[in-house]
Amino acid sequence: MTDNKLHRRDFLKIAAVGVATVAGARAMSRAEASSGGEKGPHQWAMVIDQAKCNGCGYCTLACRAHNDVSPDISWNVILPAGEVGGHQVFLPRPCMHCEHAPCVEVCMVGASYYRPDGIVMMDYDKCIGCRYCEVACPYQARSFNWEAFEDTNPAVPEWGQPEVDRRPRGVPEKCSFCYQRIDRGMSMGLKPGVDPDATPACVVVCPTGARIFGDLNDPESEFSKIIHSQYTVRLRDELGTAPRVYYVPAEAEDFEEATS
Amino acid sequence: MIAKLKARLPKPTLWLAWLAFLGLFLFTGVTAGVLVLWKGLSVTNLTDYVPWGLWITIDLSSIALAAGAFSLCAAVYLIGLKRYQPIARTATFVGLIGYSMAMLCLFIDIGRPFKFYQALIYWNTHSLLWEVTMCVILYFTVLLLESMPIIANWEWLRNRFPKLTAKMSHVHHYAPYLAIAGLFLSSLHQSSLGATYGVLKARPFWYKPEMSVLFMLSAIIGGISMTLFASMLASRLTSKAKINDALIERVSHFIGWALVGYFYWRFWDTLSMTYTYEPGRTEGLHLITTGPLAFNFWIGEVLLGIVVPMILLLNRKTRLNPFWRMAALLMVVGGVVAFRWDINLSGALVLVSYLPGQPTVSYASYTPSLVEWAAGLGVIAYGLLAFSLGVRYLRVVDHRLTDEEHETVKVTATEPVTV
Repeated sequence: MTDNKLHRRDFLKIAAVGVATVAGARAMSRAEASSGGEKGPHQWAMVIDQAKCNGCGYCTLACRAHNDVSPDISWNVILPAGEVGGHQVFLPRPCMHCEHAPCVEVCMVGASYYRPDGIVMMDYDKCIGCRYCEVACPYQARSFNWEAFEDTNPAVPEWGQPEVDRRPRGVPEKCSFCYQRIDRGMSMGLKPGVDPDATPACVVVCPTGARIFGDLNDPESEFSKIIHSQYTVRLRDELGTAPRVYYVPAEAEDFEEATS
Repeated sequence: MIAKLKARLPKPTLWLAWLAFLGLFLFTGVTAGVLVLWKGLSVTNLTDYVPWGLWITIDLSSIALAAGAFSLCAAVYLIGLKRYQPIARTATFVGLIGYSMAMLCLFIDIGRPFKFYQALIYWNTHSLLWEVTMCVILYFTVLLLESMPIIANWEWLRNRFPKLTAKMSHVHHYAPYLAIAGLFLSSLHQSSLGATYGVLKARPFWYKPEMSVLFMLSAIIGGISMTLFASMLASRLTSKAKINDALIERVSHFIGWALVGYFYWRFWDTLSMTYTYEPGRTEGLHLITTGPLAFNFWIGEVLLGIVVPMILLLNRKTRLNPFWRMAALLMVVGGVVAFRWDINLSGALVLVSYLPGQPTVSYASYTPSLVEWAAGLGVIAYGLLAFSLGVRYLRVVDHRLTDEEHETVKVTATEPVTV
């Protein structure tokens, strides 16, 4: 009898250790995943030159058309960001596609996730609509679908044609760096950031060329050249989210050149 | 004819009036719930800035007020304070109701209610809400098992399925094991609900480690107070409820001292952590000390929620007086609810700008819509109804009852050594 008991206890001990090991290993692999995940050969990123942005809002409209976004929602907002040298300056804000994205870390079902190319993606089918990601995002980049978007999209066809499905009611949505354009373009042998058909719609439509899209891993990309030669900032960098959207701040001299 | 009908109708009693009163709230609650499922969350006043509001407060409060179950079960079955077993029994049932209320409330609060099961299929073990979900579901199972002997008290069930009820009563033999599971699961998620807020860098007023401690402490205090208050109230209203006043008085004394600790923690957390200006955090503090949440904080949380009941429960004279003791326990419950409301809003209402340069802070606003109130009150009415039925039919508050002794380790004497 006592033998039997001992065995049972041993078994329980072994089982407990086993479960703890598996759980720990799983948690560790997850922790790794949430700090960037497996990185592919490309790391897409964007730099926005605030000196060139004139706040026209074309990017917002092109985004709404290509991604079939409701007029109540902006994946890409343009905020007034004060005056520099007597000129109004703007700050366009897409999703930052953070390397350490709070939204991915907090999502209970893993509906927000990292693609190997660095894009922070949403799996709208997995999402249950708890809105934890929305609370966690330091950039207010997420908008919840409080109601279903069933009307015709006023941005279509003037600003482009929808390339992705509409999101259902009850999920938060956000900018995806036009992953559909990148994926399709690359499958056709095009280069994102160079060929318009493989580049996010907001970058293509920008009339002043304020947005540059490219590969962080490619030193020859225009994007890399800018971030290595010019002073750039990232939003709320102190939080450690490591955004993949960079800004070249506007200086007073930028506007002097333009006027002279 | 009318006289005949009248004779058929049950006599109006206080019990029926209470049921009708709850029925009214249940009806509007169900109507509001259907409206939410049909129209979506656009019928709420929630926004992208404040996506969590009244329902989250109700959900967090019902989980907190259910915490008497794990704390009292741990005290009885693990620490060995067996004399409190009858109260633990009431607490278990209150816990069961609390968790079912929380799940009901969450069901309408999530954007895609009918996809709730996906929370079980897709796992992000890194997420605190994943952990909370798992713990809540597992703990609800534990509570169901712990409540089996209580449900077996239902006379109709006893007569109809005597064998089943005998089996259900037998679950009590595993009470110590269930208490271990309950303590483990509850300590995890009660504190993690605080950490859910505490890990969010984007919201400076929430971003602090002591959120977990505060949630845990307030849950234990509020949960036990809820159970004690409900027991005392039931015993005054119906002869079906019998309390052991001496037991309640002793636990209340403990609550009084626990409030001293909680007071210290809340004071330390709230008033001393913002010594220097920090964008967002200081504004959050202003919201609760001088802003729109000030009344709720100073009166609801501090004065009525902690200080007054602390004095009433530590002072022997007032503690022995059932009226003052009940008042004090109810104040503690109210204080915990006020705490959940303040925590949720003080963080959510403060928006820190992400523009480069000096961070600026702006305020959002939120007042629950009529539908939110109706659905929320409906959930509360459900909880009250379930407890009332429990008191009437399951003898949930019967502190003379002691379940049969649970299984203890049987030590058989070794055979006498014969030389």
